[in-house]
Amino acid sequence: MMNTKNAVYYGLFFLVLIVLPFFLTSNWISVMTTFLIYSVVSLSQDIVLGRAGMFDMGHAIFFGLGAYSTAILNMVYGWPIIATIPVAIVLPIIASVLLAAPIIHLRGDYLLVTTIGFNIVFTQALKNNVFGITGGPNGIFGVEPLKILGITFASQKSIYFLAFFVLLLTLAIIHNLETSKPGRALHYLNLDSLASECIGINTRFYRLYAFALSAAIAGLAGVVFTLQFSAVSPGAFNFIQSVLFFTIVLVGGPSSIPGVLLGTFFMFVVPEMFRQFAEARYLVFGVAMILIMIWRPKGIWPVKFGRIPNYITKE
Amino acid sequence: MEIFLQQLVNGLTIGSIYALVALGYTMVYGVLKLINFAHGDLVALSAYIGLVIIMQLAGVLSPALLILITFIATMIITAIGGIVLERAAYRPLRKAPRLSAVVSALGASMVIENGIMLIWGPMPKIYPASVVPNVNFDLHGVYISLMQILVLVISLVLMVALYLFVNRTKLGTAMRACAIDQDAARLMGIDVDKVIVTTFVIGSALGAVGGLFIGMYYRGITFNMGWIYGLNAFVAAIIGGIGNIPGAMLGGMLLGIFNAFISGYISSSWSMALTYVLLIIIMIFRPTGILGERVAEKV
Repeated sequence: MMNTKNAVYYGLFFLVLIVLPFFLTSNWISVMTTFLIYSVVSLSQDIVLGRAGMFDMGHAIFFGLGAYSTAILNMVYGWPIIATIPVAIVLPIIASVLLAAPIIHLRGDYLLVTTIGFNIVFTQALKNNVFGITGGPNGIFGVEPLKILGITFASQKSIYFLAFFVLLLTLAIIHNLETSKPGRALHYLNLDSLASECIGINTRFYRLYAFALSAAIAGLAGVVFTLQFSAVSPGAFNFIQSVLFFTIVLVGGPSSIPGVLLGTFFMFVVPEMFRQFAEARYLVFGVAMILIMIWRPKGIWPVKFGRIPNYITKE
Repeated sequence: MEIFLQQLVNGLTIGSIYALVALGYTMVYGVLKLINFAHGDLVALSAYIGLVIIMQLAGVLSPALLILITFIATMIITAIGGIVLERAAYRPLRKAPRLSAVVSALGASMVIENGIMLIWGPMPKIYPASVVPNVNFDLHGVYISLMQILVLVISLVLMVALYLFVNRTKLGTAMRACAIDQDAARLMGIDVDKVIVTTFVIGSALGAVGGLFIGMYYRGITFNMGWIYGLNAFVAAIIGGIGNIPGAMLGGMLLGIFNAFISGYISSSWSMALTYVLLIIIMIFRPTGILGERVAEKV
């Protein structure tokens, strides 16, 4: 359970996020909105990568499927945005189960390469305008804003709070996952797949469960992403983006919520701060990634499990 | 039939380049169990270094001597780059969790890629047209250029040399021993660090040859081309069975021919996607690649 100290920290963090948009320029609200969306995607990536221990380097597929579902259903078929949300959640789930089922038994690096493959096929399909509905290399423009009960989410701040709400929802889901049976199953099978199978955990089922859950969350994040820019394009979901989410989790700290949030801040917001240095920042950034991994190989904010003394968990 | 043979020749040429680059991935993976994501960018770097050398020496030396010196100098400089990479980004992480090394590799890749861009700028650079004299041989309707012959012959020589090195020399045996079990190898008195450095030297030098071929054959080079060629070469290594040196050669050739036929018969806008469809199919039905992985999975 969450103790008082953690509850205070999370309270403070949420408070900062709530008051932040009232002090920022419009440019920075946009950056922070994307930060919130990327946090959600990274947290969902963490379910597969950090908690279930599967090297998935194609997570942008599910993010992109959610985003494109909303955009296509709205622009091509004229659905209202609110009606597209269930589809943008269910479609990534179906896709993730179909894609992951044949490859779930592959060991680490093979899974990584195969998911890269899926991601590249996915972006190529979007670019080549499959079925004539993806808009080709330019994507789709002019998606309508979300309307719920007469309220229109069109202003920048309203989208920010929408993204904030989705983040809260994701944190609630992950908190529940941590304290539930599937969460413990994922934790065991990550630590030792063979041993967990021996104590009766259906590893194949829970691996697919992890993929499906994370795809659903990423799909929902995709909807907000489409709403933020009223547009989607293949470049936002290419394999480099998957690498970004993958790196965020590992730099921040796998299966650590504050770690993943910090990782997103470090990998996405910090480069935005140094925008005036243009290209040189990524050089420094690469060096920083190497140094962080050397000094903190388990991430900036590694996860702690209970009060286990360090000498026991050390390998 | 002529189109078929022509595409076969083109495919074998591209395939040789992939194979040379794939060897760097597969050797490092065999010894360290690490996907060296920075290898592709090292290949791109070597293409730029080669261009600088050619621009400096063009006209001063005869073409044959120019090519020879460019190759040797670029291989040496890239090999030094490989040593620096191993020292800075991989050695401190030898005992860290495996994924940390992957992030470090991605960071190193960013450093090299953006370093190239800062030095040579974001615009593509073009290799001079006639580094290798533009001579075409007509074999009953199938054209093969001097450049293609050069690529095929040099690649073949290097691969045979590598095969002999790994299987017939003491250091090669040490390398194979490290690939099977590093700790046991160390107990047998093998200097594992030396073997790892050698792996990086050879891998980078072969990658440098690949990078120079990319520059001379395709002529246009960009700072971010390391990703594309690196990924394709990596796919080649996986298709052949990663960690398996003949596998990387076979995988490279197969992928090159596959790519050439896709571009020749279907459409080049789908060639990359179909490459990965092939990879996914092979991963599903034969997860350890065509020739099989050299390292067995331990329970």
